[in-house]
Amino acid sequence: MATKDAEAKEPEPADIIRPILNTSMKWYAAIGILSAVALAWLAAFGFQLQEGLIVTNLADWGSGGGVTWGLYIGAFIWWVGIAHGGIILSAAVRLFGMTKYQPVARMAELLTLTALSMSGLYIVVHMGRPDRLVTSVVNAYPWTVQSSPLAWDVTVITLYFVMTATYIALTLRYDTYQLRDRLPDILDPLYRVVLIGYSEKEDEVIERMAWWLALGIIVMAPLLLHGGVIPWLFSLIPSMPGWDGAIQGPQFLSIALTSALAGLIVISYTTRIAYDWEHIFTDSVIRGLTNWLGIFSLMFVWLQLQQIINGLFAAHVRPEVVMTAKLSNTIYQMAMVTMFLALAYIFAQAVKPSVFSRHLSLVAALGVLVATLSEKILFVFEGLAYPEFGLYDQVPGHYSPSLVELSSVAGTVALCTLMYMVIMKLFPIIELHSVEDHDDDHDNEEVSA
Amino acid sequence: MSADDAKDTNEEPTHPYETEDSFHPLGAEWEENMRSELEDTEFDADLGMEMARDAQRLVAGELSEEEFYAEYHEDMEDEFDVDERPVFDDIDDVDLDKAEDESMFEALTDVDIENEDVSRREMMKKMGAGAAFLGYGAYATYDSQKEQEEVPQQVSGIRPAEEDGREHRWGMVIDLERCDGCLSCVTGCINENGTSTGANWMYVFTYDNHDTEQQNFLVRPCQHCSNAPCAKVCPVRARHVRSKDGLVLTDYEICIGCRYCQVACPYGVNYFQWGEPDVPMEELEHLDMRPEDVRSLDEDERHTKLSEANDHVYDDRGRWTDSRPPKGVMGKCTMCPSRQDEHTDNEKGTVACMDACDEAGMSAIHFGDLDDEESRPNTYLERRKEIEESPKEKNKKFEDPEEYEQPPAPHPKSQLSTFRLLEDLNTQPNITYIGNEPGPHASETPEERPVHYEALSNDWGVNVVAERKEHLDYGARANDDNTPGEEEGEA
Repeated sequence: MATKDAEAKEPEPADIIRPILNTSMKWYAAIGILSAVALAWLAAFGFQLQEGLIVTNLADWGSGGGVTWGLYIGAFIWWVGIAHGGIILSAAVRLFGMTKYQPVARMAELLTLTALSMSGLYIVVHMGRPDRLVTSVVNAYPWTVQSSPLAWDVTVITLYFVMTATYIALTLRYDTYQLRDRLPDILDPLYRVVLIGYSEKEDEVIERMAWWLALGIIVMAPLLLHGGVIPWLFSLIPSMPGWDGAIQGPQFLSIALTSALAGLIVISYTTRIAYDWEHIFTDSVIRGLTNWLGIFSLMFVWLQLQQIINGLFAAHVRPEVVMTAKLSNTIYQMAMVTMFLALAYIFAQAVKPSVFSRHLSLVAALGVLVATLSEKILFVFEGLAYPEFGLYDQVPGHYSPSLVELSSVAGTVALCTLMYMVIMKLFPIIELHSVEDHDDDHDNEEVSA
Repeated sequence: MSADDAKDTNEEPTHPYETEDSFHPLGAEWEENMRSELEDTEFDADLGMEMARDAQRLVAGELSEEEFYAEYHEDMEDEFDVDERPVFDDIDDVDLDKAEDESMFEALTDVDIENEDVSRREMMKKMGAGAAFLGYGAYATYDSQKEQEEVPQQVSGIRPAEEDGREHRWGMVIDLERCDGCLSCVTGCINENGTSTGANWMYVFTYDNHDTEQQNFLVRPCQHCSNAPCAKVCPVRARHVRSKDGLVLTDYEICIGCRYCQVACPYGVNYFQWGEPDVPMEELEHLDMRPEDVRSLDEDERHTKLSEANDHVYDDRGRWTDSRPPKGVMGKCTMCPSRQDEHTDNEKGTVACMDACDEAGMSAIHFGDLDDEESRPNTYLERRKEIEESPKEKNKKFEDPEEYEQPPAPHPKSQLSTFRLLEDLNTQPNITYIGNEPGPHASETPEERPVHYEALSNDWGVNVVAERKEHLDYGARANDDNTPGEEEGEA
């Protein structure tokens, strides 16, 4: 196999700065297309600002017969999930010394930064009066933070943005210093900012700081991130039986890790082709990521099963109504079939290595991303469509996102990719350590694979 | 007296001792408690209160310690025979720089403990009284107020004040057995508030309970919960509970339109203003001033101006909480705060839906102060219980009001069926219903409505519909040809 030769090649520092030094026509073409998509959505968003949220297909739940939260909030959770999953994976790589995945670590961190920006954007897009966001929130913050899960949410998103940015900024210093001579002069002012006060003596300290930050992230993940504050937005609301319940914490966390792994597979697959990184994102690395995707996908499906069984067998009236509706929803069925197909592939290639193909892994990853996004939007919609107060059931309720809402998914995916592609032109998205240490780790890697 | 009632003259919170009512950060009520405690002692309560007031000024840095000591030195000698505090003979013993850094209480303790002429016990006794005088304790400083549940005036709370601290607790008794589904209350509400099509702040269900043929009605305004989940979850405190009377209101100027209140409310009473309101602001009766200017007025002046304008938009705090919301923020039944604050032609203690229900001859809605035993809802409920206890009278029911005087039959207790909606969600709703509670399998029967929403007319000429979604989707399409409202339902 051709890839065998590629894997035998040693990764070098020259490899990781290739995206910064060489820019192909394809990159410009991609930027052009993505900008067009992003601009189209921004125009739609502008239209929404002008007309109000009436341009969405959202409505009042209750006698109004609609749902007041829909695609925007579903997509918000999805982006936060990817972001939180990304930083958790990167922290795990550092904390548990998983050197095999070290090349993916910074990519995961950057994914956190870009995905978190998209989730922040969704908060703004979702609001009736985004112009008041800062003034209103800041004014009452000391009191609302004691009572409102949404205030906790804003706090945690801000906290994680700061932590991730710090994490990246710290670890970038070493790479920038070492590679500076080979980086383009035109970006010198940027590098000078990154390197303010740098001395070689700090490397050890920085390493330790990054380790502690990683520890903090891992510990806080289930408590505050996608295992805590984000699911609490829903699970603390007893009015909605589809949301209520302690299972939402683990459920959200499993979805976060699943989506983040899927996202990483997509990014490593794409950059491997674009920058000849066959010897960095080897089949072995992609296979490893695929196996991890399998484990978290299984958890996701397992927790879905728990909810459905609890909602159907001898359940209270309203939880049974929600779960019946959920199960009979074709979009939900499609999402679950996709998850099962992905799992079938992943376990087949785990048992029989010849089944593995990185293309199939990419397809599985994309399928999982669509499935988690659909599940999240349905979760929001069905929770509101089947409240505890059942007298509204006869009000004909339906929700399918409007074009303005749908365009936001395309728009944020485009924006996120744009951000990513621009960052790739400024800094190495693979840590220098992971190519420097290659000699020492190569033997272990084979064993641990 | 609650924080809400205090004057709202500035954007910045007024320092409490500047208000006439109370100098204490915890308000007049606390102050009264302090006074009565002092009056129980052998010492002069007036002097104590005066000193406490100045102590607050001292803490705020407007009085120096020297000035403070000097002012009260003589009084203290009179009161306690001797003033042990550092202004007298041994002033030199006190390290004033140090005293500035410490709380005064600590400074005093240092000095007195060093003075071996005074027995420790006697000194502690005096210090105890002194501490009470000075209002020292956990709440001595203005800053520490922020650590308490009390919030400054520009940020509202999420609970009504305790019973002895509030003026009213507005609520309703709704007699479902008297409701005939005429929807007069729905029209009354729209006329009062100018709500947009489909935003039925007052909504009446026509429903069947499982396995029965009986037609039932459920009148559904906002439940104005004392433990309101909507206020709890609001990330900006736009949705709040007015502490003086428990009304659950939305400050339209603060709301960011995140709709979390709507999500958290178990009753589905919220209606968001998705587009421009159907009734323009000019058509609403209101004081034509910027909200911040209204708030900056002094309380009496504000009340006068609001009354002159027969204002239906601001409440007595100068907050924009009444009538329909503007675009992009949340609205719901308000229980007419401008009526309860007495600056409209309508009487305090009434609401528009009740007036309409009375006018229609139904009198199913009884609004009033639930804290007041003599209020309309309480007396009505009491009377209904009595009638229920007397089988003979029950047969006649409301045919002849004079028969009400007949003594009740000796039933051990009332058989009247009352309930509150979804009470087990711990929302503490302030609406009590008389009649049967809808069962878990009850379902609405829109086709059996005696009067249809679509047939209602109102003062504004706004269309009325039961289900708003269709209308909003239509609105979306009307605004944007590129936005087809795909109609296939997922449910």
